[in-house]
Amino acid sequence: MDVIWFLLALIQDMLLAAIPAVGFAMVFNVPHRALPWCALLGAIGHGTRFAMVYWGFNIEWSTFVASMLVGSIGIHWSRWYLAHPKVFTVAAVIPMFPGISAYTAMISAVKIGHLGYSEELMILLLTNFLKASSIVGALSIGLSIPGLWIYRKRPRV
Amino acid sequence: MQMQEDQSSQRAITRLCIQCGLFLLQHGAESALVEELSTRLGLALGMDSVESSISSNAIVLTTIKDGQCLTSTRKNSDRGINMHVVTEVQHIVIMTEHKLLDARDVEKRFAQVKPLRYPRWLVTVMVGLSCACFCRLNNGGWDGAFITFCASSVAMYVRLVLVNRHMHPQINFCITAFVATTVSGLMLTLPVFIHTPTVAMAASVLLLVPGFPLINAVADMFKGHINTGLARWAIASLLTLATCIGVVMAMTLWGLRGWM
Repeated sequence: MDVIWFLLALIQDMLLAAIPAVGFAMVFNVPHRALPWCALLGAIGHGTRFAMVYWGFNIEWSTFVASMLVGSIGIHWSRWYLAHPKVFTVAAVIPMFPGISAYTAMISAVKIGHLGYSEELMILLLTNFLKASSIVGALSIGLSIPGLWIYRKRPRV
Repeated sequence: MQMQEDQSSQRAITRLCIQCGLFLLQHGAESALVEELSTRLGLALGMDSVESSISSNAIVLTTIKDGQCLTSTRKNSDRGINMHVVTEVQHIVIMTEHKLLDARDVEKRFAQVKPLRYPRWLVTVMVGLSCACFCRLNNGGWDGAFITFCASSVAMYVRLVLVNRHMHPQINFCITAFVATTVSGLMLTLPVFIHTPTVAMAASVLLLVPGFPLINAVADMFKGHINTGLARWAIASLLTLATCIGVVMAMTLWGLRGWM
């Protein structure tokens, strides 16, 4: 029963991640031929992270592994699409972006300035800022590493 | 006579290389790609080496051929992220490397590069749906997702209209965040949505997260372009700050319950 519940949750998670990947790919004006691949990569990335978090890894490391996976698949696809992998991998990792943490951190900072110092707000600010910046770092470095590692000096495309 | 001809062809190639770099920089490519593609274009067109220096608002590029150096500088103005242009420029460089294009063809192709824009209504609907999915992914429930869809579609429409009028980006983000929070916050006060999680309010401003600049910032710093990386990080932080000021303004003006 547990396995079925997990699979259903995973599929729902992947479907829910595919739509933002396409939506943000449109904001970044990704060519329309690449849009379906953005959706697929977004679903794979977010699904990987969901599964890893479910198996007890913490969210930063899961994000790092998921974005490395997205980066490696992106490099493979970029060879026959003849475009830089960033063209579709960045849109694909947007669903994993820590937007709410970043805003919570910034709003706490604005409130500290507004209402004066308080311990609660400071804790909110620090924890959310650290979480947001480490996830952004994990996403970005995870996307870059496959390119630097597999294709050290020769151009990728 | 020969010398003058060489120099004028080198000048034309320098112009093409810097145009290539400028296209990429204006449309949101990372610095490593800007440097790589402008160098590859120069080498493919017969230069001995191409050196460039990139900063956030200008690009300086030198081509060297038989000991003769030519340097040019261009001011960079941000034109918004457009991966279509990046792909087109990359295709032109690859075709030049395979000797399918010469300098004159490259010039013609560059003149024809037109940034792709998706229709406004389509982007509005898709971004609304995206934010609704974010709300659902953050345990906001389906009723929360509905509120987010309405709020972020309206906000995205406002944002695109303001972009069309060349509004300053920070002011644009502030106004858009104000609109999104107002719509979602006021909908949350309706009796129907009394039990809806307030994460719907947070999710409705997620369309303003500067994801691309932040990912580019870290990638630039990771690959050794510290100055462009820091500049991108600063721009992204300013945009986030503008968004938060918009959110806080709306929350204090309407006396909404917070979302933390």
